[in-house]
Amino acid sequence: MNAVRNHPPVQAFHDLFSAGKTGLPGGDGPLLGLRETRFARFADAGIPSQRTEAWKFTNVARHANVPMALGGHVQIGASELSAFFCGGHLARRMIFVNGHVSRDFSHVRGLPEGVSVRVLADAVDDGEVRERIAAFDDGRSFTDLNAALMQSGAVIDVADGVHVAFPLQMLFAAVGSQRAATMNHPRLLVRLGRGAKLHLIETHAALQDGSTFTNLVSQIELGDEAELIHDRLQAGRDGSVLLSKADMRLGERSRLRQTLASLGGALVRNESTLHLDGTFADAVMNGAFMPTAREHVDNAICVHHRQPDCHSDQFYKGVMDGYGRGVFAGRIVVHEDAQRTNAFQTNNNLLLSDDAEIDSKPELEIYADDVKCSHGATCGDLDEQSLFYLRSRGIDADTARSILVYAFAGEVIERFADEGTRRLAMQHVFARLAGGGGLSGMLEG
Amino acid sequence: MLKIDNLEVAVEGGDDTILKGLTLEVKPGEVHAIMGPNGSGKSTLAYVLAGRDGYEVRGGSVTFGDEDLLELEPEERAAAGLFLAMQYPVEIPGVANNYFLRQAMNAIRQARGEKDIPAGEFIKKLKEKAALVGVREELLKRDVNSGFSGGEKKRNEILQMAMLEPKLCILDETDSGLDIDALRTVADGVNALRDPSRSMVVITHYQRLLDHIVPDVVHVLANGRIRRTGGKELAQELENSGYEGILGEAA
Ligand SMILES: Nc1ncnc2c1ncn2[C@@H]1O[C@H](COP(=O)(O)OP(=O)(O)OP(=O)(O)O)[C@@H](O)[C@H]1O
Ligand SMILES: [Mg+2]
Repeated sequence: MNAVRNHPPVQAFHDLFSAGKTGLPGGDGPLLGLRETRFARFADAGIPSQRTEAWKFTNVARHANVPMALGGHVQIGASELSAFFCGGHLARRMIFVNGHVSRDFSHVRGLPEGVSVRVLADAVDDGEVRERIAAFDDGRSFTDLNAALMQSGAVIDVADGVHVAFPLQMLFAAVGSQRAATMNHPRLLVRLGRGAKLHLIETHAALQDGSTFTNLVSQIELGDEAELIHDRLQAGRDGSVLLSKADMRLGERSRLRQTLASLGGALVRNESTLHLDGTFADAVMNGAFMPTAREHVDNAICVHHRQPDCHSDQFYKGVMDGYGRGVFAGRIVVHEDAQRTNAFQTNNNLLLSDDAEIDSKPELEIYADDVKCSHGATCGDLDEQSLFYLRSRGIDADTARSILVYAFAGEVIERFADEGTRRLAMQHVFARLAGGGGLSGMLEG
Repeated sequence: MLKIDNLEVAVEGGDDTILKGLTLEVKPGEVHAIMGPNGSGKSTLAYVLAGRDGYEVRGGSVTFGDEDLLELEPEERAAAGLFLAMQYPVEIPGVANNYFLRQAMNAIRQARGEKDIPAGEFIKKLKEKAALVGVREELLKRDVNSGFSGGEKKRNEILQMAMLEPKLCILDETDSGLDIDALRTVADGVNALRDPSRSMVVITHYQRLLDHIVPDVVHVLANGRIRRTGGKELAQELENSGYEGILGEAA
């Protein structure tokens, strides 16, 4: 870490940590050491500036290096939360409001044998959980900040061979307040045993006006032959920021199907590092992002092919409007042993205004000789001929544009495995388009 | 119904005019055929009537009903009852054909102050019209024109026309790309729409279509103007002597 290049954290971080550390889960003992070490490192390294390669296109300090209070318990209406319930009537869900589990609305009781879903604030009593938390140490500032300040989160374990028959939803609600900007540092640990299967739905909702800053760290491990379907919808609002860092490890013949949509918020950073650690691991990562107004979405994906015969496919689509800015930095590293790798990456973009911007940066690093890799990025505007065709059939210009934008982004949205998430994503996409009101018919069919 | 007076059109920013003082009147219930050599301006006329960008009207006027057509947006023209079956229908990946049709239908109904068509009624009508013009049900679920064969695209245009029930149908080379049987089916579909209050402008190169859709008037468009106008026998005459013969005689 080169502290010179970074911004020293504002005093509020120091004050908040020293006043609050012992009140945090495990802060009265078993986790205090880790929290202190990580905080010291964070304070020393500072908040990344744009001179740091990983943050080249994103000014995170603007949002992160400001005085914020740690999110506390707030009362929130059932209907505000239930609007984000996904996964159908069989789903189990754990709900976090400002980083704290909401026991009233969560429903994870009566789980079948071999499926364990724990609240992280409780689970830190378990030494093994503390070890897992400590084990993720990438030396990055926001990971350290999360370790120092994590309030809660979930620990999900599925035993060998167990196929979880219902979707499991993790709903994170960031509730704004007029009084102060708040920050939340949830952590998610997911471990699937050998041959286990899980459909995980991750939903990020921003509720009420005010500035919220969520700094999520996820550690996801797929055992050999395990399968994870991961649907993630982020629906932000003007003052919301989501930084999400996922570290994912895939065992032999395991399978990941991930689809995510980043819809709104001042800043969304979607950083995923995928380690294909076993042969024949197979990962598909789909993403849609649609910054408009002054929103900013930064996707930083890195896939490490470490073993032979693995397959990975990144498929990201961006729609930038207004002064919106999108970033797609997709990196594929094929390590020396990873012969017969198939690794693909596509990033297609629509720029709908002259002031919108996309920075698409593919990076291939290949150290094996027998590999199939490809990457492609495109950037365009809506097709005039298609627009005219729709309008010539009576569809007004705004609706016609919305239809074409959805036709573009929908290719990703349609990949959500969960119907509820798909519909919710469509609603949010339509609400963000000038002529989107005319598209509601799509939700009927 | 449609009155075109001395219309002059150029490609936006271009020097040459494509339509050079074209005059044409279509009365309610009439079917007019427009024939003419490649590049004579037939599609340009059709697009200008439908309101496509990229053309510059440099003179003349177009009245549709009692409205100045050239003042209207494309969607307003559709709502007013104008429909263009395009020579090259556009593929729109990601938009389902049946969804598109319902969206179009409701847009036109809304513009006219009518209620949306109930879902059940729409499906019934869609199936009925699809059968009439020979569009397979599978194509209704596919994306608009995406991967459709040339003939399937043309049928899809006529299906849209049958669903939207316009007052003025402009068919730009709907027959090209159709096999002999398809030509008959499509022509039957068009004929089923013939009505004393509905007019048609049929652009074609071939007499064969006009055997099925019998026109009241035939025009020859060349070099941006109507050079000859006659009855349906003019098409036959053209078939026999070609444009050179006919236009040479006219000149
Ligand atoms: N967008 C354009 N840019 C440049 N030239 C154009 C454009 N559109 C039409 N033209 C020209 O205008 C002329 C008339 O074209 P148009 O497509 O109207 O002919 P057409 O009568 O429909 O021919 P065809 O029988 O081959 O369909 C042609 O010379 C064509 O090249
Ligand atoms: Mg033409």
